[in-house]
Amino acid sequence: MLRYFARRLAFAALLVFVVSSGALLLTRLAPGDFASELFGAGATPQTIAEERARYGLNQPILQQYAGWLRRAARLDLGMSLMYRQPVRDLVQQRAANTALLAVTALLLATLVGLPLGVVSGSSGRGVTSTAIRSASLVLLSLPSLLMALLLVLIAARTGWFPIGGMTSIDAADAGWIAWARDLLWHLPVPALALALPIAATLERLQAQATAEALQEPFVIAAFARGVPRRRLIWRGLLRVAIRPVAAIYGLVLAGLLSGSFVVEIVTSWPGLGKLMYEALRARDLYLVAGCAAAGSIFLAVGSLLSDLALAAADPRLRSE
Amino acid sequence: MVSTIRSEPRTFNRLTGRDTVTDTIGLLTQARLVRINRATDELEPWLAESWTVSAGGFSYILKLRRGLTFSDNALFTSADVVFTFKAVYDPKVGSPLAESLRIGGQPLQVSAPDESTVVITFPSRFGPGLRLLDGLPILPRHRLEPALEQGTFADAWGLTTPLSEIAGLGPFVLAEYQAGQRLVFARNPHYWRTDAAGIQLPYLERLTLEIVPDQNAELLRLQTGQTDFGQSEVRSEDYATLKRAADAGRIQLLDLGVGLDPDSLWFNLNPTSKGADPKRPWLQRVELRRAIAHAVDRRAFAETVFLGAAVPVHGPITPGNALWYDPDLPQHDFDLGAAARLLAEMGLADRDGDGVLEDAAGAPARFTMITQKGNTSLERGAAFVREDLKKIGLVVDVVPLDVGALVDRVERGAYEAVYFRFLTTNLDPALNLDLWLSSGGFHVWNPRQATPATEWERRIDELMKQQVVTLDGAKRKELFTEAQRIFASELPIIHFAAPRVYFAMSARVLNATPVLLRPAVLWNPDALAVKRPAGAGN
Repeated sequence: MLRYFARRLAFAALLVFVVSSGALLLTRLAPGDFASELFGAGATPQTIAEERARYGLNQPILQQYAGWLRRAARLDLGMSLMYRQPVRDLVQQRAANTALLAVTALLLATLVGLPLGVVSGSSGRGVTSTAIRSASLVLLSLPSLLMALLLVLIAARTGWFPIGGMTSIDAADAGWIAWARDLLWHLPVPALALALPIAATLERLQAQATAEALQEPFVIAAFARGVPRRRLIWRGLLRVAIRPVAAIYGLVLAGLLSGSFVVEIVTSWPGLGKLMYEALRARDLYLVAGCAAAGSIFLAVGSLLSDLALAAADPRLRSE
Repeated sequence: MVSTIRSEPRTFNRLTGRDTVTDTIGLLTQARLVRINRATDELEPWLAESWTVSAGGFSYILKLRRGLTFSDNALFTSADVVFTFKAVYDPKVGSPLAESLRIGGQPLQVSAPDESTVVITFPSRFGPGLRLLDGLPILPRHRLEPALEQGTFADAWGLTTPLSEIAGLGPFVLAEYQAGQRLVFARNPHYWRTDAAGIQLPYLERLTLEIVPDQNAELLRLQTGQTDFGQSEVRSEDYATLKRAADAGRIQLLDLGVGLDPDSLWFNLNPTSKGADPKRPWLQRVELRRAIAHAVDRRAFAETVFLGAAVPVHGPITPGNALWYDPDLPQHDFDLGAAARLLAEMGLADRDGDGVLEDAAGAPARFTMITQKGNTSLERGAAFVREDLKKIGLVVDVVPLDVGALVDRVERGAYEAVYFRFLTTNLDPALNLDLWLSSGGFHVWNPRQATPATEWERRIDELMKQQVVTLDGAKRKELFTEAQRIFASELPIIHFAAPRVYFAMSARVLNATPVLLRPAVLWNPDALAVKRPAGAGN
């Protein structure tokens, strides 16, 4: 078991390294750079060259990458070219906001998707399961951007929730309880935009796994012995049927991050996605790499949690 | 009052920030010696209450208002003005404003004979005079001098600077910055302006700039009353929606007239650049440019690309710039026959009957035109041009690129043709010399020439240099009209249409005078006010 997690941990570290290095190198190799973006057309080559030298962008790519790696090994992700602030500080601040959004969305998706999956998977072809399945298919076919815009539109029309931002203007001055309440009021739109497609994915997986588990001999035997159907499904069956869902939790987290990229921009949520969007627009390569590193840490943590959940659900993995 | 901006500021220091958000922050928190009233285009006294010009027209003696204080209550004196100029010209600061404050590459000389007098000497006569100073905020010496002396001014007033360390002479002070969310400005209690009734400005107690990167979300916030206005004009495709909201009395939708920024198509005319193909010299011929100018139906272009909210234009100066626009300049009207004749004169003909012209070597008359990805009107415009040029046998491959990649290509000269739209920042052509002079970096079709590559560019150089040193307004207009006439004949940039500019703001905004230059409303922040809700007390 320990060896298994050590291996997963090493894989997580490799993932963070590869993703952040890839982001840095790709941003560096793409046409244009921070200096040309900053000045636009019309600046003299001398001005642009001076600015490049000032930020060390005139170094050969390998030298630049090696320097970044050396600093990154000491957990120094460099200075943002755009904001002139340490990348680590910028990323930490925004990653916390994204984490809040992602965890809320994941909880919502899990609390909605799994039970509905069990219901639709265990109730044959009835009206309930057809309705759930249809709703899931609609939600699965909607891209995050459309979902976000739709929810923002509903919020705008009804006025039930704010259509953007993380807190109101006066929230910080009103005490922490009012601030928390205000934050909770701002969460539903972005969290639902992220959660609904994931809930639909979880529902579909859970429904299929539940339907398959219902055909297992031990389930048929339990029914034959007179175990009440509801108890069997919600206690005995869920533990078996949750394995395929637990296995994709890491991927679900990755989906959450890529979805949050769009959702944060549409709903003005000050998270990692919005920061990375600005960094990419400005070709701020150290900030891009820092955001990518943070994103891959999310993914790695998600994978580890997924493995833990799988191990909890499947004793065979614990003995590995 | 709540407004929106589309991106984060990169610094709070206008002398080092190049982004539009930093410029807007500067307008809210700092003040200049003189101001161009963007609604009337008149030069107004601001921190300087009056000035006199020396006999030769080289020197200006400015009398500063007495007794003004910065937002931290420190006294404003001529030393602050001298300090600001010192900072802007310091090479270690690398200020983006430095180039615009040079004349013929030479800086202005600034001295302070006493606490309330400043003498500014220009290196030569300069037609626009003190209008040059409209963009320069005067910064507090007592706050920033140590940074300048230590060589750290470029990083001073960054985003992590405690806001209490930032002081200015503008109507507001930056009270709160929530990264990724908003900037909150509070009224500057030491602000020096009063209205006609003697009431101290600004009227607003607080002004918030919400950071909303997505334009659709920005529009929705305006429609639902969560914000009062944004910084950019209404997109053609949003007009109908906003018109309904305006008819319902929820917002004000204002027609600001014809915009200043026409779309621009230019070819790479530098024969030695990477994009120049020696096998296709016809790409640099004036006949090609004239043929294209004749081949595009500008009326249909305005209807299709801007959904009717545009006017056909034939030059870089649009009717929106009333002082410098000349309606009598040569025009290339829609005429497919004339276009075909011009192409035939260059030896382009349909030799194999496939509907596409070929040159003498049999190679198809084809070129690549890069444009900005994600800008809907540019993408629609590029598609329209491609279709119209197909009718005269020219094949255009449109390649949309991210703006950074596009700028990189232009900078390296690695392109054949570009379709783009520039943002006008100054109405006076003497403040846009980079475009007109062959030595200019913004002379995009063939920038930074050591000597003019063509006779017509040499002639435009002469006219513009003369225009800049002429103090008589009528004479300046005459010289510029002649330069425009040459431009319209040689067509280094082909223009098709200038959009009509509409600006939307909530119904409760008072005293706003939106203008074509950006920022449309916040250029005049101390006059802004909001209507109190019915039933609210005084």
